[in-house]
Amino acid sequence: MNAKNPSEKQEEKVIDTTRQAVPYQTGNIPGPKMARAVMPAVPGKMLARAKRPLLIVGSKIDSEDVLARVVAMGKAGIQIASVGDSYKYLADKGLDAHYMNMHALASYLCDPQWPGLDGKGGYDLVVFFGITYYYASQAISALKNFSNIKVISIDKYYHPNADMSFGNLKQDVFIAALDEVIAQLPK
Amino acid sequence: MTLKKGSFVIEGLENVQINIGKVGAEEEEIAQGPTPRPEIIGLRDWDYRIIDRYNPVYTPTGDTCDFCTYGKCDLTGNKEGACGIDLEGQSARQALMVSIMGAACHSAHGRHLLNYLIKKYGEDFKIDVGPSNLQAPLTETIMGIQPKTIGDFRPVLDYVEEQLTQLIATTNTGQEGAARDFESKALHAGMLDLLGMEVADIIQISCLGFPKSDEKAPMAEIGMGILDPKKPVVICVGHNIAAPAYILDYMDKNGQFDKIEIAGLCCTAHDMTRYNKTAKIIGSMSKELKYIRSGIPDVLVTDEQCVRADILKEAQKLHIPVIATNEKITYGLPDRSNDSVDAIIDDLVSGKQPGVVLLDFEKIGELVPKLAMKMGPIRKAKGLTALPGDEEFKKLVTKCTKCLQCTRDCPQSLPISDAMAAAVNGDLSLFEILHDKCVGCGRCDYSCPADIPVLNVIEKASQRVIREEKGKMRIGRGQIGDPEIREEGRNLVLGTTPGVLAFVGCGNYPDGTKDVYDIVEEMIQRSYIIITSGCSAMDVGMFKDKDGKTLYERYPGRFVKGNLLNTGSCVSNAHIAATTIKVASIFAGRKTKGNWEEIADYVLNRVGAVGIAWGAYSQKAFAIGTGCNRLGIPVVTGPHGTKYRRAFIGKPYRKETWNVLDGRDGSVINIEPAPEHLMITAETKDELMPLLAKLCFRPSDNSLGRAIKLTHYIELSEKYLKKLPDDWHIYVRNEADLPVAKREQLMKLLGEKGWKIDWEKKKILEGPLRKVDVSFQPTNVPRLCKEVKK
Ligand code: SF4
Ligand code: SF4
Repeated sequence: MNAKNPSEKQEEKVIDTTRQAVPYQTGNIPGPKMARAVMPAVPGKMLARAKRPLLIVGSKIDSEDVLARVVAMGKAGIQIASVGDSYKYLADKGLDAHYMNMHALASYLCDPQWPGLDGKGGYDLVVFFGITYYYASQAISALKNFSNIKVISIDKYYHPNADMSFGNLKQDVFIAALDEVIAQLPK
Repeated sequence: MTLKKGSFVIEGLENVQINIGKVGAEEEEIAQGPTPRPEIIGLRDWDYRIIDRYNPVYTPTGDTCDFCTYGKCDLTGNKEGACGIDLEGQSARQALMVSIMGAACHSAHGRHLLNYLIKKYGEDFKIDVGPSNLQAPLTETIMGIQPKTIGDFRPVLDYVEEQLTQLIATTNTGQEGAARDFESKALHAGMLDLLGMEVADIIQISCLGFPKSDEKAPMAEIGMGILDPKKPVVICVGHNIAAPAYILDYMDKNGQFDKIEIAGLCCTAHDMTRYNKTAKIIGSMSKELKYIRSGIPDVLVTDEQCVRADILKEAQKLHIPVIATNEKITYGLPDRSNDSVDAIIDDLVSGKQPGVVLLDFEKIGELVPKLAMKMGPIRKAKGLTALPGDEEFKKLVTKCTKCLQCTRDCPQSLPISDAMAAAVNGDLSLFEILHDKCVGCGRCDYSCPADIPVLNVIEKASQRVIREEKGKMRIGRGQIGDPEIREEGRNLVLGTTPGVLAFVGCGNYPDGTKDVYDIVEEMIQRSYIIITSGCSAMDVGMFKDKDGKTLYERYPGRFVKGNLLNTGSCVSNAHIAATTIKVASIFAGRKTKGNWEEIADYVLNRVGAVGIAWGAYSQKAFAIGTGCNRLGIPVVTGPHGTKYRRAFIGKPYRKETWNVLDGRDGSVINIEPAPEHLMITAETKDELMPLLAKLCFRPSDNSLGRAIKLTHYIELSEKYLKKLPDDWHIYVRNEADLPVAKREQLMKLLGEKGWKIDWEKKKILEGPLRKVDVSFQPTNVPRLCKEVKK
């Protein structure tokens, strides 16, 4: 039931990213293990604590509001794997961003011998958003099943193949959620 | 002793396999290589070489297995199921099964045609595909025989069918378990697919008067707007020309081409235009539902492959009779093959039966035009269409509650509710954009809780653009002729023609059909040879430049740089793969018969050809891609290709996987990753273009060729990704490899990377992985080296 009493109404401004935690594309039900829906503070803190986190962004970061959040996360020192054609949006932003094919990246992340995007070794946490939904979902199914890396979706869609994910969000909630993630990162 | 057809070994000469062709044939067929008619593990060593460099990457669509009654088993995290198979093995098994399905489809198509054509023309009917000595390159390379007549293809299809049965057997629970061997078997199925396609297309080219290596084949009209809907309209759907040929003949004989419109949907359309240039093309499978619902067709003729499962249901709503002409798709309809044409027509016109199965080609030829002449006036008088009228349309768009359920069910996640909202205010432009991006699947209709027939609304709103949808496509030419290979082979192997890009496969594009046009236009202007086939060939012809010309009208169709060739329907994909065999044989003098490994090794290391299945949806497309991979040809698909669950991706950082042998002395040379991948996807067309340029690198490139390829790789990356590629330098072997226009700038960058450079002489002294050696004979197969170094 979604009915709310007046006292709950007060809290409506506080975003809840755990609602609507059903696969965004209706038929995308992979199996018994599906992502745990989380509030933004969780990936934020995990990103802040991770030794070698990696942010993956794809071709869907072209809108100004989303791009600004990618830049903010990059400026907070998180290395970025820029998949698809997203590099064209990041080229002049002075970030630690590297072009990589998403399918190849999924394969390399599963390989303990991969030296990483900068030659400094593999990653212990992967966070992503802004990638064509089904493409990201398929690519991370490789990580889910054939690697030990933690994968978190902070996209506006529920991604069942991640370890953790937001639910399906409206654009304004999505942007607010990204801001909350960013708020947890070291300044 | 009576000699029978087939292979045998003489006692004491176990290394010599003797193959006998037709008994009584003028010459016995002697294979030149070690693997004529390879069994299901006959080329496993070659497959392992591929797999060890291009590791299978699995992206499961589901984490469970429910093949047998032990299950459902949860394989998440690569756990084992009750039978012992893990998720890796299961994913590989699925890759094999998908390849088998595709190969069976093409081969059964070939078998249907072969039986029919032998019955009609006799088994001694000569093969004629144009100016070629190497008429059946895949057959020669796989079977070790040189077919001369259509009857010679009988043992070829016998072999394919027997091998496919063996492969299917391995997928049963309790059979093969190792992912690696499933993949080797999938590669085998892919190879069989190429062979089945070659048979199908060669026999139809030979018997049915299709263009034979014709670079100047005429243009055909294409698009949803090309037919005159006032005339009776016959639409043939599928891939098999047998039945439509009789309809075209009957119409021709009775002078009906100006009275009845006849066109095809999907690859049948290709072959109809190859058979009779009066026929027209509506478009790819994506247009099936859209065109049926427009109500324009008065008769639908189905054959096989890429025919929607709901055609009868959709047609019945609009009183369009369906004539099912192939045993593979019968829709539960009665078989009326033994009834009189007039009796069948009566039952269809009255609506007593919504359709019939009709397997007698003579009757089909007579019935369909007669039926169209009757149905046309009746249907047009009633104005039957599924599309809403103007008033209804306005009501429907206001019903949208913006719940986004349609977007969530749409394979392309199209922003349908935004278009609905704009249409409420009279703006149809967003719907017109959706019309091109929509693959016409109809899923949105089922999902809308407000009961809006979404696809019909999109199509109604897009009538203006649909009327203007009139393109041109050069009719399928068939094979690339030997003289063309002689002229171009050298440029390809040395790299001075930057590459052959083959745009093949279906219309499940991630962002509309226009992408294919844009990509082809960019690459052809850069002098790549562009080959098309199937639905991609159609979609390339759908768009025009500012002067109203399609790409087929702007670029000629010869196998030379900067040309645009359409080989034809799905089965003519075989000729694209076979072109690389021709290069190995005609340009390099490699023996073909029974010599797959050597040919594939040559192709992998020297022929800069790449397949692009940007909208691949079917099992057939995966089988074709997998067959190309076994032949050493890399393939890229669009993002939907990740749902095939398996790719072959190279790891440039694993240096040991990039060792090849120098055929002159067997010495081991560590090479640049060329080609870097064998099967991979890209997210968008902007990502795809530089990737294509990169996948055209081959170890055999000479410096001029490498400089040309590097120029395009760098320019495309700078243009579409706004960056110099991170790995450009690993493709540089000396200063002559550097693109001329950027030589200074790039040399400086190499200096910054620590390469030693003699700045006065502008020479690279130290840094590259290896030197350029024009006599280098790269090979991955030790036995092909003159002398193997220990
Ligand atoms: S018919 Fe078109 S809009 Fe509807 S779900 Fe399919 S692709 Fe999307
Ligand atoms: S499903 Fe129907 S109501 Fe919902 S957004 Fe789509 S068209 Fe509108």
